[in-house]
Amino acid sequence: MNVSYQWLRALAPELEATPEELSDRLASLGFPVEGLRPLAEGLSGIVIGEVQAVRDHPDADRLRLCEVDGGDGVVQVVCGAENVGAGGWYPFAPVGSSLPGGITVGKVKLRGQESLGMLCSEMELGLGPDRTGLMELEGPFTPGQPLVSALGLDDVRLDVEVTANRPDLLSHEGIARELAPGGHSGLRLPPIPGEDPERAEQLEELQVQSESGQVSGGGVTIRIEDPDRCPRYLGLIVSGVKVAPSPRWLQTRLRAVGARPINNVVDATNYVLLELGQPLHAFDLGKVGEGTVVVRRARDGEELRTLDGEDRTLSRDVLAICDARRPIAVAGVIGGEESEVSSETTDILLECALFSPGPIRSARKALGLSTDASYRFERGVDPEGQHRALLRVARIILATAGGTVRGPILDCRPKAFVRDTLRLRPSRVEALLGVPFESSSIRSLLEPLGLHVESGGNEELAVEVPGFRSYDVRREVDLIEEIARTHGYDRFPETLGAFRPGTVADHPLFDLEARLRDELVSWGLLEAQTPAFAPQGEGEVELLNPISTEERFLRSRLLPGLVRRLEYNLSRGNRNVRLFEIGTAFSRSEAGELPRERTHLAAILHGTRIPPHWGDREIGLDVWDLKGLLERVAELVSGGSWGLRPESEVTDGELFDLASHFVAVGPDGAIVGAGGGLRPRAIDLPPWAGPVWGLEVVLPELPDDPGEVTYRPLPLHPGVERDLALLLPKGLSVDRVGSLIEAEGGEHFHEVRVFDVYRGGDIAEGLRSVAVRLRFQAADRTLTDAEVDEIVQRIVGALREEFGVGVRGQQS
Amino acid sequence: MSTDGSLIEQLRGLEEEALAAVETAESGEALEEVRVAFLGRREGRVSGILRKLGQLPPEERPRLGAEANRVKARLGEALEARESALTREDRTEAHSEDLTLPGRERWIGGRHPVTQVVDELVGIFRDLGFSLARGPEAETEWYNFEALNTPLDHPAADEQDTLYLKGGNLLRSHTSPVQVRVMESHEPPIRILAPGMVYRRDSYDATHTPAFAQLEGLAVDEGITFVDLKATLAEFARRYWGAGTRVRFRPSFFPFTEPSAEVDVKRVFQDEAGIQRETDWIEIMGAGMVDPAVLEASGLDAERYTGFAFGMGPGRIGMLKYGVPDLRLFFENDVRFLQQFARS
Repeated sequence: MNVSYQWLRALAPELEATPEELSDRLASLGFPVEGLRPLAEGLSGIVIGEVQAVRDHPDADRLRLCEVDGGDGVVQVVCGAENVGAGGWYPFAPVGSSLPGGITVGKVKLRGQESLGMLCSEMELGLGPDRTGLMELEGPFTPGQPLVSALGLDDVRLDVEVTANRPDLLSHEGIARELAPGGHSGLRLPPIPGEDPERAEQLEELQVQSESGQVSGGGVTIRIEDPDRCPRYLGLIVSGVKVAPSPRWLQTRLRAVGARPINNVVDATNYVLLELGQPLHAFDLGKVGEGTVVVRRARDGEELRTLDGEDRTLSRDVLAICDARRPIAVAGVIGGEESEVSSETTDILLECALFSPGPIRSARKALGLSTDASYRFERGVDPEGQHRALLRVARIILATAGGTVRGPILDCRPKAFVRDTLRLRPSRVEALLGVPFESSSIRSLLEPLGLHVESGGNEELAVEVPGFRSYDVRREVDLIEEIARTHGYDRFPETLGAFRPGTVADHPLFDLEARLRDELVSWGLLEAQTPAFAPQGEGEVELLNPISTEERFLRSRLLPGLVRRLEYNLSRGNRNVRLFEIGTAFSRSEAGELPRERTHLAAILHGTRIPPHWGDREIGLDVWDLKGLLERVAELVSGGSWGLRPESEVTDGELFDLASHFVAVGPDGAIVGAGGGLRPRAIDLPPWAGPVWGLEVVLPELPDDPGEVTYRPLPLHPGVERDLALLLPKGLSVDRVGSLIEAEGGEHFHEVRVFDVYRGGDIAEGLRSVAVRLRFQAADRTLTDAEVDEIVQRIVGALREEFGVGVRGQQS
Repeated sequence: MSTDGSLIEQLRGLEEEALAAVETAESGEALEEVRVAFLGRREGRVSGILRKLGQLPPEERPRLGAEANRVKARLGEALEARESALTREDRTEAHSEDLTLPGRERWIGGRHPVTQVVDELVGIFRDLGFSLARGPEAETEWYNFEALNTPLDHPAADEQDTLYLKGGNLLRSHTSPVQVRVMESHEPPIRILAPGMVYRRDSYDATHTPAFAQLEGLAVDEGITFVDLKATLAEFARRYWGAGTRVRFRPSFFPFTEPSAEVDVKRVFQDEAGIQRETDWIEIMGAGMVDPAVLEASGLDAERYTGFAFGMGPGRIGMLKYGVPDLRLFFENDVRFLQQFARS
């Protein structure tokens, strides 16, 4: 919210602080100031210029030659703005002056014509967003008068960040209330320049005609058909107004906060919105059919051209202000173009209404249009402020546009607002804030905010909440917050007290994740984090309002995202990419239920096994690296209950190359992970990239505790080893051979390790030589050669019989 | 004639000869031969002369004995000196490799920088008695908004532009739903942390990504006050950013806490020249006393229990800590970036 420093001072005359001090105080009250801008900044060289004559440029259709009096004689200025006119007053930057952006105006020739200075737009002076033409000023002035003093720009604009719970701060009065010494009671409405005090007094005493459903007077009828959405609607007729540009003081106020002056009637309504936070609207009474105003929900399909020039089709989500026939405005959002106040308008109907937040929010969403009015109504406008705001705007209009008030104030009021009285226990204040507060100090902290403390016992206070705080102060705790805030957070101690340990045990998945991270890091992998979004084909759960089509789904697995990270790295010239990620994968569940979520671990490996060294041949990662990692991951995740098996079926999309594909199988036979070489066609990599290895496993939702290590006694006696070169026929896998060896090894069998695999040479076609080292161990003695030989013979015999396996160097 | 005179002369002649032999020996073996030839117990020539000691009259024996010991000692030193010289030469010759060549490395892995920040933050709060909880990333409107005292038609529900799923559920826009889930399933005292990913409909820029990490904290018990909130978070800040860190609590608004606060820190430190310096105030988290409506929605008696909650962005804290200028770097996963953090 843009706030004018001078306006605040006018509302709180006792407020004596610099803009910087106010900015600090607002921040400490919870409303940080995001920008602080002296309006005169960079404008010291800009003066008022009077355009005395305008001629066409001889060589350019769009440019005009202006005779400008900038106080220092009349000079020629070439101007491209369409709204330049003889007799007009504009900001003028003479040759040698500079603009707020730092540009110095020089003497230039435009299409052969000399230009001695520059006529400026709002945008060029940093005074507002309008760049469509010159900033038109309402004269008369003295040419050459500095712009800053002429427009009263000795002001500072504060951009105050107002939180969603404090609609009362969307006005200068609300901000002033927080800052003024004495708060609420230190405020007064600034006098209206040029006002006739007698007329003002008459207005204040104007009769109010109040009815609950429909009210008539002065030839106008107001009817509310939807009291829930519109609890109150006030109307006032002013006839005989002269619509014209606003006087300078009014324009100055509006410009100070970045609003653009339009005409005296519209400016008056905007002024009151900014001063008191109450949105108002002025209708051209002549355009209100049959002088009737009906507040009702729009019918589906009703049409209205709104003030922004859009033709809008309304729906039942929208509350409409209608005349006898059709909508003339969207309640609380925007007026209609047809009933807009124009220079021909003489009689106006002023609307000052209260609309409920929810419906305005729906209307704003339905129309896709947020305005100053809708922004305030959505958050909550003071339900007690309508009468005061209506009188304020009427006084300004009478003072600036003339006219007379016709008839009573029409007050249609189907639902009266009743102030809440909240109980407040000082004991509860201490229980929540940790510091005791006396009733008297509670009173002195709350009263300045307009929160009236009615009774003063020490047990319980009663606090009456005014309308402007009725949206956020509804409970005892809301009052306690106000006590803490106005007391000052910094004044509470920071003494760390005792605490009881919590009853919530660590979720076990965090520990498994940490152990997996440590393991993968020790294998030389870098942890990646990728957003959980995926394109079509990589997820089952679809977003309603995705950011892009590439991120339209939630991923059902992590590996494709890691593949994209690999592609990204290789495209940037990085090599040897080894990444892993632990993250959430989503799958569809029953309609209406939350999607199923599981934490997955995925890894991708590419490049050499170790960093290339000058002394070695480079060794690329191969399937055994992948398998070793997958085995280790499976071991950590499952404590040994997962098995790994080569897979020849496509199980995981088309990602894995079947020549080197494993799946991890849980104890119940379910597939819980996969790994292998990635199919070159499944990934977009240059041909030189070489093989890419990947794995992905599903982590258990509630992992088992890994348990304690139990010590096993070390053998006291040396073990005995025997090497065998086994000749395996085609189709016989090593794991079957290993299982048989284990089964036949007897009680002293310790382990079998493969140490060489060899084909060709003197090995017969179709056979494979697999060299294994068998180890035998007895707990209580050293085994004799004879014993071991016997076991080995048994194993060899079984291998021969069961699988037809021969032993090299032995007759089979 | 004095026999000792000639024996001493012999001894001195032998000394010259032996020293020359030591100096010309070109290997350890040659040196050993010299040692045996002169000082050997049996065959050594010096020992041979000493064996003749008995032939001398008793009064002359000490002189020759002393001289013989001096010669033996001198030869011993010379042998030692020559040996170490030879060893030195040996070493130089054997190590013809250029040892300035690089050694053989291993790939160094590393946790993601945001994980590292989360782990550090969690470590500190663990010491302050918090345990780890988790909740789903896809949530209902109830847990993400309504149970957190945020009516769906309130502008506060808009401020975190939410990503919705087809079918009415949504991606949590903060980790606060975990507060409600934990309070529903556990009796106070509750002291939990909930790290996790949250989602908002933000386009990617230097300070926004549609998914980002958040760390939630919640403490609920009888007698927890605003002073406990301030004390706990100030203690955390000083442990994380250093003992001299200044902490500021500013009023703010979150629908699910009241009173609510923004917490800022200002680091105070000594620079390399020993001059005390300080940073600007940096906004690091939102916090507040758990709103009674949230306690009630979670099934707790709000008259009996009070609590505080806080939430911070490990990604943002990581940006400040590491000087990373753009949040997107954390999601690009360029290995050159990740490797900079691969120290653990």
